Amino acid sequence: MKFILFTFLTAVLVLIFNPFLPYWSVMIIIAIFAALIDNGGVAAFFAGGLGMGLAWLGQSIYISTFSGSSLPDKMGELMGFGSEMPLLALTGILGFLLGAFSALTGSLLRNLFKRKPDNIYGG
Amino acid sequence: MKYIGFLVVLALTIALGVAVSTPFGAIPPLAPLLDPNHGFWQNSISEDELAEDELELNNLSSEVQVVYDENLIPHIFAANEADLYRAQGYITAKHRLWQMEFQTMAAAGRISEIVGPLAIDLDRMTRRKGLAYGAEKGIKFTQETDPETYALLEAYADGVNQYIDQLEDAQLPVEYKILNYRPEPWTAFKSILLLKYMTDMLVGDRDLEYSNLRKILGEVMLDKLYPEYPIGVEPIIEAGHKWDFKSLEVTRPDSINYPNDQLVIDPLPQPEEGTGSNNWAVSGSKTKSGNPILANDPHLSLNLPSLWYSMQLTTPNHSVKGATLPGALGVISGFNENIAWGVTNATRDTRDWYKITFQDKARKAYRYGERWEQTTFRIEEIKVKGEPALIDTVVYTHYGPVVYDKTFNSNRQDVNFALKWNVHEGSNEQKTFLKLNTAKNHDDYNVALDNFTAPAQNFVFASKSGDIAMRIQGKFPLKWKGQGKFFMDGADPQMEWQGYIPNEQNASTLNPSRGFVSSANQHPTDSTYPYYVFDNSYEFYRNRRLNNRLSEMSNITVEDMQGLQFDDFYLHASEALPIMLDLLGSDVENDAAAKKYISILKQWDFYADPNQKAPTLFYIWWRETYSQIWKDLSENLAPVVLPSYYQTVLFMKNEPNSEVFDHKKTSERETAATHIKFGFKGLLEVMTKWEEEEGDFSWANYKRTKIQHLVPQFNSFSVENVYTGGGAGILNATSGRSGASWRMVVELGPEVKAFGVYPGGQSGNPGSKFYSNFIPIWANGEYLNFDLRTPDQVDGLLFKTNLN
Repeated sequence: MKFILFTFLTAVLVLIFNPFLPYWSVMIIIAIFAALIDNGGVAAFFAGGLGMGLAWLGQSIYISTFSGSSLPDKMGELMGFGSEMPLLALTGILGFLLGAFSALTGSLLRNLFKRKPDNIYGG
Repeated sequence: MKYIGFLVVLALTIALGVAVSTPFGAIPPLAPLLDPNHGFWQNSISEDELAEDELELNNLSSEVQVVYDENLIPHIFAANEADLYRAQGYITAKHRLWQMEFQTMAAAGRISEIVGPLAIDLDRMTRRKGLAYGAEKGIKFTQETDPETYALLEAYADGVNQYIDQLEDAQLPVEYKILNYRPEPWTAFKSILLLKYMTDMLVGDRDLEYSNLRKILGEVMLDKLYPEYPIGVEPIIEAGHKWDFKSLEVTRPDSINYPNDQLVIDPLPQPEEGTGSNNWAVSGSKTKSGNPILANDPHLSLNLPSLWYSMQLTTPNHSVKGATLPGALGVISGFNENIAWGVTNATRDTRDWYKITFQDKARKAYRYGERWEQTTFRIEEIKVKGEPALIDTVVYTHYGPVVYDKTFNSNRQDVNFALKWNVHEGSNEQKTFLKLNTAKNHDDYNVALDNFTAPAQNFVFASKSGDIAMRIQGKFPLKWKGQGKFFMDGADPQMEWQGYIPNEQNASTLNPSRGFVSSANQHPTDSTYPYYVFDNSYEFYRNRRLNNRLSEMSNITVEDMQGLQFDDFYLHASEALPIMLDLLGSDVENDAAAKKYISILKQWDFYADPNQKAPTLFYIWWRETYSQIWKDLSENLAPVVLPSYYQTVLFMKNEPNSEVFDHKKTSERETAATHIKFGFKGLLEVMTKWEEEEGDFSWANYKRTKIQHLVPQFNSFSVENVYTGGGAGILNATSGRSGASWRMVVELGPEVKAFGVYPGGQSGNPGSKFYSNFIPIWANGEYLNFDLRTPDQVDGLLFKTNLN
């Protein structure tokens, strides 16, 4: 449950801040968020990654659908992928990596200030 | 342990963040490109979705209204000219920023900054021709002689720059995102530079080739193969026009010693094949409504974003609409409430070459008569993306820059040639367009044209008051017969240009009795014009078709004129094919394929419509025959030009057994028939291959008209295989890569009716639905309504934006 919430909140953060902040600022925000929430490293990694990845993928699909533009296909062709689909995947994966590593960093930062692990098995 | 883990992950995260913001070779930084909030995804959104009621534009004296019609054509309503051009700069930048900047980067020889070392040679060429040098002279000339225009240039630049300052990443044109750079500030200099770039696009010279031909052929044969006035020329100014002025004297030197080198130099790039234009006006006496009708279609390379951008520009004193050039002020080809005007290229040899004899290797002085003249050095620093800058030193003489020297294009020949070109002299073409935009009558038009130097244009004119006119305007050097046709000796002062033809003696006509004026890049005048006029590239087909049609037409309507712009009649084929079929004889008729092709050709009505098969067959047969006829010439190591199609057909018709057809290197004696038969074999070979590989050889499928993005590598931003007819030498001059870049027809009645279209769209953004939406309309020979609009008109409204 916590994992889903973390994922959801990360996505919300991206949707709120990314429109007027560059991606690296969003990475810092996700890291801070992960540092504030008590979560294991692995969970933070995947939740942060999915949050940002799904946000980027969703936004790309949304723009592409409602604009009806052929630009994603043209860009896909230009970059040697042939069409839009691989470009959507690439955008999602890139979002995932950025979100995942940011959240993991935040989560490990939190660990530094922890006196004693509450739960040695993580989670 | 915790610390090490954290530091490792932190380092990884930072490394990742940096990696995705770093370009790798040609691959742009990934995160800024793919970020759906700032990257290319945002460029998918069309302008109407992003419409805003209010935008901030400072330094206006009062609010400016911008009304977009359904085609995204902006109609700007401003209180005065300064506001108008500030808004024009702002709005043009909003829709065409990348293109206007890229074109001026090209004009300045700065493409290497964007794309890296592969553009170095191109940039060196541009700089050695002195385009930026010419623009510097132009800006100085404008500042000194015409502060009003200069102030408007500054207002326009301010408008562009305010847009650049407001520009958010999301709306940054996608080309910047892919090529990973950002727009720099616009300046008045760049607007002038753009007009110089147009000159470069439209003006060529063949002095190098003619010098070689003179040496290879001798003067007699040269005049036979390349006559300056071939039989049957139909000039722009109607033949028999009376020249009512006393012409200036031009003295021809008693003896002329041309430099005698055989020149194996790569010539400068010439205007693209197919660069030309049509324009005409018919007087009320020939039209159904009794109103004059004017038509213009400039032919250029077909590119995206389109060279042209449509706009209406209105102040309380005037309202003008038509095609603008992004980067230049006002409308270039268009109309207002009182007049309409249009342009075609007035090709004439205004670019000459002088052989320079330097005193020594230092190149600090060169011989001029009995003296040594001092040179100056211009250091060109060419910045190169990803590499150190390149320094190119260009030597300047009083003639102009030494373009060819030991460091450039000379194939190690020890040659130095300086370029004299009127683009290097201060001039103010911008003023011509500003004045045409507000002109009310023929006198205003003439005053406007007096400011125009280059590229020389045939300005067609029609007015509501019933006048039609044509004037060939440029700053034309006074030349003795033959001057500037060949490279000249720069050490001999007698080779200098002897001044310029005065503006009022430039060839022009007003309301000729035939009831129309027209131009299509042909000879400007008949041979009675008292000045020497020469160019290699005069056109022989479009003008004759046009004049034939205009002469025989009456009760003309706007639709008739639109039809004439889209006329596919292949005059060259109609003249050459019967001769070719005749000389081919009957030997080939045993071959089944040959029989099929000949039967298609024999049934042809000579229209190059997209579905016709015969134009393809003729085109290939002609090409194979023509190249075989002039094989001896084209096999020369030194660059030459070949005789025109027109002259070649004349030889085939009038003297098919002439020595001009004989290849000197063979023992056989060739005639026109030999080459025609050889060409036919070539046709069979090409067609066998084509039918095997491609199948359909209908004309549109063969010529494959392509409208190409300005960066040719961005192929998916281009539009390929446009289904349309026409071709080079045809009124509808649409060939594979060039054609009518703008079509306009205007009827000057009590209410002006106007139609226009161009092969592109108003948006420069490849993601927008307005990027290429005019192409199908253009390809079908259809038009958009271009009537003047009022600010409160509601029909066909897309959205409105106020600037303040």
